[in-house]
Parts: sequence; structure tokens; C-alpha cells
Amino acid sequence: MFENRTIERIEQMLDSAMEGEFCESDYDESKLSRLESKWKKYLYSSQLAKNQLDETRRNLEGLIADISHQTKTPMSNLKLYSELLSERILNMPDATEEDRKIISQIHEQTEKLDFLIMSLTKMSRLESNIIEVKPVNAEVDSFVGETVGSMRYKADKKGISISFTKDDNDSPMALFDVKWTREALSNIIDNAIKYSPKDSTIAVSIKPYEMYVAISVMDEGQGIDENDTAKIFDRFYRSEKNSDVEGVGLGLYLAREILRKESGYIKVKSEPGKGSEFIMFLWRG
Amino acid sequence: MILQALDLKKYYGEGDTQVKALDGVSLEVERGEFVSIVGTSGSGKSTLLHMLGGLDNPTSGKIVIDDKDISELKGDALCIFRRRKIGFVFQSFNLVPSLKVYDNIILPIELDGGEVDKDYIDSVITSLGLSDLLNRLPVKLSGGQQQRVAIARALATKPAILLADEPTGNLDSKTSQDVLGLLKTTGEKFNQTIVMITHNEEIAQMADRIVRIEDGKIV
Repeated sequence: MFENRTIERIEQMLDSAMEGEFCESDYDESKLSRLESKWKKYLYSSQLAKNQLDETRRNLEGLIADISHQTKTPMSNLKLYSELLSERILNMPDATEEDRKIISQIHEQTEKLDFLIMSLTKMSRLESNIIEVKPVNAEVDSFVGETVGSMRYKADKKGISISFTKDDNDSPMALFDVKWTREALSNIIDNAIKYSPKDSTIAVSIKPYEMYVAISVMDEGQGIDENDTAKIFDRFYRSEKNSDVEGVGLGLYLAREILRKESGYIKVKSEPGKGSEFIMFLWRG
Repeated sequence: MILQALDLKKYYGEGDTQVKALDGVSLEVERGEFVSIVGTSGSGKSTLLHMLGGLDNPTSGKIVIDDKDISELKGDALCIFRRRKIGFVFQSFNLVPSLKVYDNIILPIELDGGEVDKDYIDSVITSLGLSDLLNRLPVKLSGGQQQRVAIARALATKPAILLADEPTGNLDSKTSQDVLGLLKTTGEKFNQTIVMITHNEEIAQMADRIVRIEDGKIV
């Protein structure tokens, strides 16, 4: 009987601690009372650890904001001056082929650095929840249409056409953050453009399911080895055979994190040599 | 590490007619991981799942779940361990036909004599899109809906591991995608470790890691 009561009290203590509202009941000479005090002490120290963690996170957020803000001006200056310099060198009659190579390298690397800093800032903001992904109920068709439209220019330049098929009789809705999901979809289409040969087609389509709306991006590129399909979503992952293609290895990682934050997911199907299909599943809620 | 299988063997019969269903399988699964085990029928994948779930004993080898060697557990102790630590999702749903959806979901908690963590259960129900179905009987649900209820039931006790045996075996491909999507996203949301058995490559691709089994061995 007495044992039962003790066990019950201990269970209560655990329950209230899990709720974050444990209070000691009595202070007396009993073992239970001593246990309560110890329990309180333990909870306090773990609360302290949590507070410290929050503090660290806030500092980190500040640091990220500083880095992204402080690098902005030097970065744009660097871009501007390298452009000016390259114009001058190109117009100089006695400039050698090597001079031109060097300046175009400087220009290229500056662009790359700029892109890298931008991606890193986005990533850390997303991860530390500084920017919240706020899913709202929105139409998928028009969202995909607009995103595809904004990528057309880049595809055209490479001689790649993007087709977009949708069902005119069904215009499915899903829960997603339009801005961030656009980032995710753009990254996926951008990859498709990068890894597709000239004169190929990228097929974008929408397929509604009961719980999700799927956006599929299918390319006719080189495809992905089966062993790599899980790795491609890792941070900074670059396939060795693509070292000549520009990129930092954050696009798919970002895309997956964004989808995860709105209760969706990404799936990849690929056949090496034939092409890849990336499918984004948006939750219908 | 939440699950460790060490050199598992399961032999049936003796001499010439001996069948080696499992022939030295070792496997480690980290907390929160979603692993699929793929193999053709007869590869030993179901035998492996039964061992991991404590439904069958290995001929030799060891299985450690949540720091407990389950071969040390016998009878009632093993039964209680299974109820608290392992959530099962089967091909055939196995819902209790006379219980409404909600009662099916909380059944394992009630069997254990515990109290329902309302917030957690509500959150599982929402994640799996079951909010509007709670008062229905299983017979009034589609296959996909039944399997979603079975997943909620398996998650109800916050098990150390969720074991899924061909969870989409009775579903069409479109519904399979839906159910697996929910299993994956819900698993991530609650940091739930999932081990899924399947013969279907496409289904297996949904996991973080794929383990292949052939003739009782991991390849």
C-alpha cells in the first residue's frame, strides 16, 4: 500500500517534470522528500543547461547576421572592380592571353564566393530558425508555373527546353511557404539545367495524391549512381565526376530542409545515363 | 545506437535438409534513423524482422535494443518489453474491428496501464491526417487510411523502434506513396527509429539507408 503511494508520487514527479512544472510537495525527513529535493536540483541544472544553449543560439544568430551584413559591401565592391579590371584588360592591345585568363578566373571565383556566402547565410538562417518557414494553403499550379517561368532564360541559354504539364480540370492546393518552396524548386530545376546536355528537355509536372501534391522535375541528364542517391542531399556533397560543373553542394540540402520544415519530403529516382527525376511532395494538411 | 544485431543465425532442420534462413547477420541502427531492409521472398528478411521484434528466437547471436539484450528476456518480460519498446506495422493492418479509430490508436497504451499523453497523440493524429476519422470503425476506412491508423497505433507508446513489415503490401502504388510519405515525415518529426522490410525497390528508396539481404546474408 505504502509502496504503491510512493511509486505513484514518483510517477507524478516525472510527469510534472516533463511538463516543466515540478514543485517539491513537503519538506520532511522522509526519503521521498529528499528524493524530491534532489530531483528539483537535477531539473534546475538541466534547465540551466537549456538556458545556456538558448544563449549560445542567440549569439550564433547575431554572428550570422553580422557575417552576412558585413561581407555584403566588400563583396559587391570586389565584383564591381573585377568587372572594371576585366573590361580594361580586354581593351588593352598588349594584353596577353594569360592576362585574360587570370582576370576571368578572378571574376569567376568572386561570383562563386558571393554565391557561397549567400547560400551559407540562407542555410544557417534556416537551421537556427531565424527565418521561419510558414506554410499556408496555396495553389500549386500557379506556383510551379511562375517558378518554371523564372528559370526559362537560364535554360534557353543552354539550349534546354522546359515543359510544364498540369491538369486543367484539377488545381490542387497544398500547405507550403511560397518563398522558401520557390527556393527549393528553383534549386532542383537549376540542377537539372546544370547537369543536362544541350538540346534536351526538362519535364515538370504535377500529380495530386490524397495526402500530398507531387511536383516532379525530370531531366535527360547523366543520372545519379544508386550509391550516391542518399548522399546528394548532404551538405557540401559534390559528385567527383562533376567537379567541372559550378556549384557548392548546398542546393539539394537546402531544398530538403525546406520541405522537411513544411511536413513534406523529396524523393529521387534515377537511372545513370538516362536521367533523374526529383519529386517534391507538398503536404495537403 | 538504438539497435544492434550481432551475428544472427537461424537454422531450421539438420544435415542435408538444413535451411539457413539467417546466416550471420549483423546490423546497427542509430536513433532516429529510417532503414529499409530489401530482399526477395525467401531471402530471410522476414525472419530477421521477427528476430528484431522478439517474435522469434535466433539459433545463435545477440540482439540489443535500447541497451537491453533481448535474449535474456523470457515469457511475460519479453511480452512487456515488446509492448513498450517496439511498434509493429504489418502488411495486413491488424486493427481491432470492433474499436473506433481513436480507441485502436490508444489500445497499446491502455494495455500497458499507462496514461495517454494527449498532446503527443493529438500531434501524431494530425501528422497522419487522421483527425476527421477518429470516430469511425476500421471497416469504414480505405486500405491507406487503415494503415495510417496502424502507424499511429505503433507510434502511440513512443517505442524505441518501429518495425514495419511490407507496410504497403496491400496497397496500390499511389496510396503506398502517400502512406510511406507520412511514415517518413512523421518518423522525422518525432525522431522515431524505423526499420522497414520490403521487396519493393521504389518503396525502399524512401529510407535514409538501404540494407540488402540475400540468402540469409547482408550483401
